[in-house]
Amino acid sequence: MNDIDKIQEYVAVTINGQQISAGATLSVIEALWHTGNTRIKGVGCLEGVCGSCRILVRRANRSKVTMELACQTYVEKGMHVIFPPFPPSALRSYQLTDIKNSQEIELQFQHLFPEVNQCRSCGGCTESCPKGINVEQGMHLAAKGQFRETGELFIECIMCDLCQTACPEFIDPQYVGLFSRRVTAFFHLQPANLMHRLEQLQQGHLTVVEPTSTALPEQNNGST
Amino acid sequence: MMSNENLYATALRRYQPNTNRSAPGDEMAPNELLNNFHPDYDQNAMVALQTGSNQGDLCHRQLAAWLQSDTRIKEADLINAPVIETDVLVIGGGGAGCAAALTASATNAQVCLATKLRLGDSNTIMAEGGIQAAIEKNDTPQMHFDDTYKAGHYQGKTALIKQLVLDGPDVIRWLIQQGMQFDTNASGDLLTRRAGGTSADRVLYCRDYTGLEMMRALREATLNSTVARHDYSPVVELLSNKQGHCTGAVLASLEKDNYTLVKAHAVILATGGIGRMHLNAFPTSNHLGATGDGLVLAYRLGAKLQNLNSFQYHPTGLAWPHNLSGTLITEAVRSAGAQLLNAQGERFIDELKPRDLVAAAIIRECIEGRGIRVSEHSAGVWLDTPTLERQTPGILNQRFPKLVALGKRSQIDPHHTPLLIYPTLHYQNGGVSINKNGETTIPGLYCAGETSGGIHGKNRIMGNALLEIISFGRRAGLHAAQRRVKQKHQKISISHLIKFRNDLTKASLPMALKGPMLFPDYTGFK
Repeated sequence: MNDIDKIQEYVAVTINGQQISAGATLSVIEALWHTGNTRIKGVGCLEGVCGSCRILVRRANRSKVTMELACQTYVEKGMHVIFPPFPPSALRSYQLTDIKNSQEIELQFQHLFPEVNQCRSCGGCTESCPKGINVEQGMHLAAKGQFRETGELFIECIMCDLCQTACPEFIDPQYVGLFSRRVTAFFHLQPANLMHRLEQLQQGHLTVVEPTSTALPEQNNGST
Repeated sequence: MMSNENLYATALRRYQPNTNRSAPGDEMAPNELLNNFHPDYDQNAMVALQTGSNQGDLCHRQLAAWLQSDTRIKEADLINAPVIETDVLVIGGGGAGCAAALTASATNAQVCLATKLRLGDSNTIMAEGGIQAAIEKNDTPQMHFDDTYKAGHYQGKTALIKQLVLDGPDVIRWLIQQGMQFDTNASGDLLTRRAGGTSADRVLYCRDYTGLEMMRALREATLNSTVARHDYSPVVELLSNKQGHCTGAVLASLEKDNYTLVKAHAVILATGGIGRMHLNAFPTSNHLGATGDGLVLAYRLGAKLQNLNSFQYHPTGLAWPHNLSGTLITEAVRSAGAQLLNAQGERFIDELKPRDLVAAAIIRECIEGRGIRVSEHSAGVWLDTPTLERQTPGILNQRFPKLVALGKRSQIDPHHTPLLIYPTLHYQNGGVSINKNGETTIPGLYCAGETSGGIHGKNRIMGNALLEIISFGRRAGLHAAQRRVKQKHQKISISHLIKFRNDLTKASLPMALKGPMLFPDYTGFK
């Protein structure tokens, strides 16, 4: 565990209905661990990129509930935290290889994500994003077929699904963003330097010669 | 005595950005630096294994305890356990596991993928630096081979390295086909950057989110495939037939308190690294599930492991604030030109030397009193991001958004304030021995990614881990899928444990520890 210096100040917080007293320098997850509460599910990278530890937070004397990540949020006096369950996974299924050409992307998209057109611009998705992505704008761009631009907005998306939880029209914006990024790569990323090298390899122009054991340079600190 | 905050603030006041610093002075010979200051070279941390295929080999003391630990299950636990049949069982839901599962299922094999946490919860998702592939005009697979072999102190298996570097460009092609983006220049060429200890610009990337971008695409591809998933299902034991071949595995459920037996023609271990063992009490950059489970399972079945005394301490883990210690700062920041400074504001090593040397040099500065001390027990050195920003205005926001976000969280603005860093336990260089098809020494058992060993020798260069997981994940997946046409399902049992437990007893080893670890003890998991 992280080398945490002597805890100087304790604060009372409520996590999933249980009140605990934890050091103020701790994240929500560390606070649970430090107080003897087992927490494995909903914990992943501990660096804010895996999206596992999504939480709803209400701070003392504030009515607003915010959506955050438990590994990135420090406990504060009077804070209420809930780990909400993940929404069920999407039922749709698609293969990039089923989309015949780039003209067909929009058709496929409308088939897979018809609900995007129902967006009522309530802004709930954008407000819920712990990464500050303008999710709503992404939905508008995707509805217009601007997938490259949509994908670009979602570069920091960690698939925490909070925007989906927030959407009253059952849009799952994180998958719209991911679809947009994937079709952009699949249809538009054709780098000449890579293609040229693949061709050279295919023609057998580039090989690798393994050094013979006698030609080995001096071994450095050899061991098993 | 000054409080820690004061120590840090005092150190910070002495720092000045400077675009014209002199080169590091006389450098210590690499051997001397490693022998004296790298944690791998501390002989007190190593013991000889007393049982198993690697009996007599040196192994890190903490890892040895787990390799020689007792099983978590009893025969009676399995009596009424349901049995599932599949062609290929993949254990692990990171990049290697997904690449293996996707490749196997593309050949119409039936594939099960079991993950301890959620699909995608892995070290892959955290990788920032990028992925190596020799695609530039002035670069060749041979140069990639030479760099990898040399950086690993000539301890890597040359046949594996050769396969790795030749696979590089096709791995990138495959990833693009899965829907992964890379950064390109105006004319659409892939951008490349230089890794420490290498001779050409060879690291491809997607900002500093390369692993996240890769994992998002692979996870989505896997979710949209025929692969059957078992989330929150750690594997607690492998299954074997009379000949000791691998024929399946025992899945535990974190949601229901029960076990499931999976019968498979082939099992692919892709369980990742060991950072959460916190070797030598180091902080780690690894995700919560990186507890070396695959090594323990494979060793009990008799598989040969290698380089068990070699780990990577990434030079730039955050050392301040303390509660973020161990968080990784990508090598790409040094690759872009950021320098390392000691308390005197001096450089002390060429920042783009291989990782083991840079880490050892940082530890040397701190041990010898030239580090920036922030508490009685901890010190670090500066990563000079403000000077980098002065040299190339805008570079931090453009190329390192994740770093800037980390700064916001730690209330340190890297545009104006240098980051205090210290090495963090990052990667397991060794692992289960494999051949170029990902086969271990046990028939039916495959291995890919960080759990496997042999490619990186005693030190890994930036970008080779992401290449390895896809290159060897695909290889293992393809080869493992072919086993289904050759044979019928075999008997499954845990009889290999009888011999293993006998060996433990004969060697008078304590049987109190039950492995694999699954989760570090501070999570409260039993």
